[in-house]
Amino acid sequence: MGAGPAGAAAALTAARAGASVVLLERGPFPGSKNVYGGVVYGRVLDEVLPRWWEEVPVQRWVTRRSTMVLTETQALTVDFRTVAWGEAPYNGCTTFRSDFDSWLAGKAVEAGAQLVTSTVATGLIREGGTVVGVRTDRPDGDLRAKVVIAADGVNSFLAKELGLLPSTDAAHLTLGVKEVLSLPREVIDERFGVRGDEGVDVEILGCTRGIPGGGFVYTNKETVSVGVVVSLEHLTAAKVRPEELIADLKAHPAIAPWVRGAEVKEYAAHLIPEGGYDHFPTLHADGLLVAGDAAGMCLAAGIWLEGVNFAIGSGLAAGRAAAAAAQTGADLASYRKDLESTFVLQDHKRLRKAPGLVLSPRVQGQYPGLIADLVEGMFTVTNPTPKPGVVRLLRAAANKHGVKLRHLAVDALAGGRTFR
Amino acid sequence: MLIVALLRCTDLRAEVDPLTGAVSRDPRTASLSAADAAALEHALRIADTWGGRVLALTAGGPEADGPLREALALGAEVRRVPLHSSYIEELAVDERSLAKLVVSALGENRPDLVLCADRSADRGTGALPAFVAHELGVVQAPGLVALQVEGDQLVAERRLDFGRRERMRVPLPAVCSVEGAGVRLRRASLPASLAAANATIPLVDVALPASPVRVVQARPTRPRPRHLPAPTGTSRERLLALTGALLSHEPPTVVGPVGAAEAADALLDFLVRHGYLSEARTGWAVP
Amino acid sequence: MSEAIPLTPISSYRGIGFDDRMDTVEFRVAERAHIVVDSDICRSCTTKACVTACPANLFAPTSDGGILFNYEQCFECGTCYQVCNSEGALSWTYPDGGYGVVFRQG
Repeated sequence: MGAGPAGAAAALTAARAGASVVLLERGPFPGSKNVYGGVVYGRVLDEVLPRWWEEVPVQRWVTRRSTMVLTETQALTVDFRTVAWGEAPYNGCTTFRSDFDSWLAGKAVEAGAQLVTSTVATGLIREGGTVVGVRTDRPDGDLRAKVVIAADGVNSFLAKELGLLPSTDAAHLTLGVKEVLSLPREVIDERFGVRGDEGVDVEILGCTRGIPGGGFVYTNKETVSVGVVVSLEHLTAAKVRPEELIADLKAHPAIAPWVRGAEVKEYAAHLIPEGGYDHFPTLHADGLLVAGDAAGMCLAAGIWLEGVNFAIGSGLAAGRAAAAAAQTGADLASYRKDLESTFVLQDHKRLRKAPGLVLSPRVQGQYPGLIADLVEGMFTVTNPTPKPGVVRLLRAAANKHGVKLRHLAVDALAGGRTFR
Repeated sequence: MLIVALLRCTDLRAEVDPLTGAVSRDPRTASLSAADAAALEHALRIADTWGGRVLALTAGGPEADGPLREALALGAEVRRVPLHSSYIEELAVDERSLAKLVVSALGENRPDLVLCADRSADRGTGALPAFVAHELGVVQAPGLVALQVEGDQLVAERRLDFGRRERMRVPLPAVCSVEGAGVRLRRASLPASLAAANATIPLVDVALPASPVRVVQARPTRPRPRHLPAPTGTSRERLLALTGALLSHEPPTVVGPVGAAEAADALLDFLVRHGYLSEARTGWAVP
Repeated sequence: MSEAIPLTPISSYRGIGFDDRMDTVEFRVAERAHIVVDSDICRSCTTKACVTACPANLFAPTSDGGILFNYEQCFECGTCYQVCNSEGALSWTYPDGGYGVVFRQG
């Protein structure tokens, strides 16, 4: 169910394993309902689509990665670039989901899966406790299957029907809103200091009016994606409209020169499951596997922001497990074991504390200002007054932002443990 | 009985570059316009009632295969006449050559009824139905808002000026073009959609008749510069003239509360009195 | 010459209007409304979180304390039902197959 990265990957492996696969998609084509931050890390495809990079519908290969800390008037950037990410096997690429998801679903169709679009799964068909198929909104729309893979996205009504996901969970969801801004290719190359297929991925902390979350800027061929991701719970409490946050970001003195004169080409919004390892649903039930966003597979760990690769990873495993179950009656529990042996669950498990830390009030509300003030103090030449020492500056900045040095130490330790 | 649904599959939200006029179309979002969907639905309904078969025919590139598979799942036969899909190349295919093309694609199958959209979503000249009717040598009923089978008759309804409708019997064979109103295309059942999912769309390879149109250049329309006289008077005077702030107005007339008929009469009376309606032309009886 | 009127610099305009923003997105509107709000329950709601949180601005408070809702230009993100804290006030499903939002650059 669902022809996004998870569903398409599952259909691909299951069809290759010789199972009879139907891939259902509610939009008019795969990817038409999907929105993401902006970077696909494709190495997960190595095992199933060797040399995938030669055919993936790429906008730009990310060769430059910046992490920014913003306050209203300041910006601190840690900028990294490497030639290696611009050559095979590459690292990450920017692409549009309508292109990427259609491409991946096309691979599943080539492998023998049947893709039916414009079809919504309205419920599960159950016999006893076992899922034996899905109901769709087409006439005569019941479809019986040995295994149903619920890759139906963050709102997964199929997983909710079985009680695997809570019906509402604003605390562990974030809302991403994004604008795609059109600019001529040369202008993007010039403003972001790239050329050819090279692209930039900028992750931003501290631009969301204190609402836990962050921002991003990605370059595509002839467009730039700008957006923010904020905690749904806190956004609601702050009573701020989401598009206002994008407008703030675009007006920031560090961002405005990048997007000056650009025209909005598309505005989009989507929910993101950011609960991490500790809030995964049960990943399988009798006759059903959950993959991708439906299984909460987005890794939102501050400096690592990944989702599509985890969706594909979980989809590949789900496809394998489903094919085995359909053909030999193997236990679907092998799905979780399979995931545990790969990056999908290992990364999530290792970084299980990260979402909590990254979205904590101090990291979100106080540290950006503290760091920016510290750096501003270090680089402001205060002649004839002699330079203040770094420790004094740190104390002053911490005081100004109401942070105790003790908290700094605690969070540094927590950070060290989380990201070790 | 053969009913042909002549369809146009194109990107309904094509982008036009305002500077170069270049049109970029996304093949994934190629779909039937509301009018094309209505034409197909009418074809299916009439075929259901009279026990005919429906042939969905389109001329275009492979992007049309998606909508044609949907038609296939709905029980229609489908054919595609392969045609260039570049916008510039398409411009050279005028409606007359296109009509000749689709009629020659039908070959020996003379349709009893051809249904199509009143105008395509992208070209929009609305001339194709007339040319097809001419090529087939049959009658045409363009721009219909309703089309029903009544017994062994086909009854069509068409908009006329002043909100009037025209109801007419359509003798077969005929070409009918419909507006995207009144009906929605039914949805195909899941088993039929599955069966059609990987179906190959049969191609009809007929040569495109020579077109008298030659595309020399395609560019966006740029209005010629016009000379506008500089405004006279002060800005205050212009503002007053524009807003009419200090002019005297006829105060509003309060008529009601009265019944709907009387209110309508009062309105018509007002319009006639002020010269918006001519009594003779509209034929309204003004009390 | 009269004194110069200071003009707002273009850079200080905050982007585009909301309607223009929504015009950049394709919506294939279904006949069936996939969002249904029970305004009677909303009257007792004090937060009305959906009004500000919905990225498509589909919910408008009415003078009698209820909620007026639209479904046509919906991103189908699910924010509204996730933040709704009044049991049963808002029911939300996916729109019928093939209808609803179509992102091209999502």
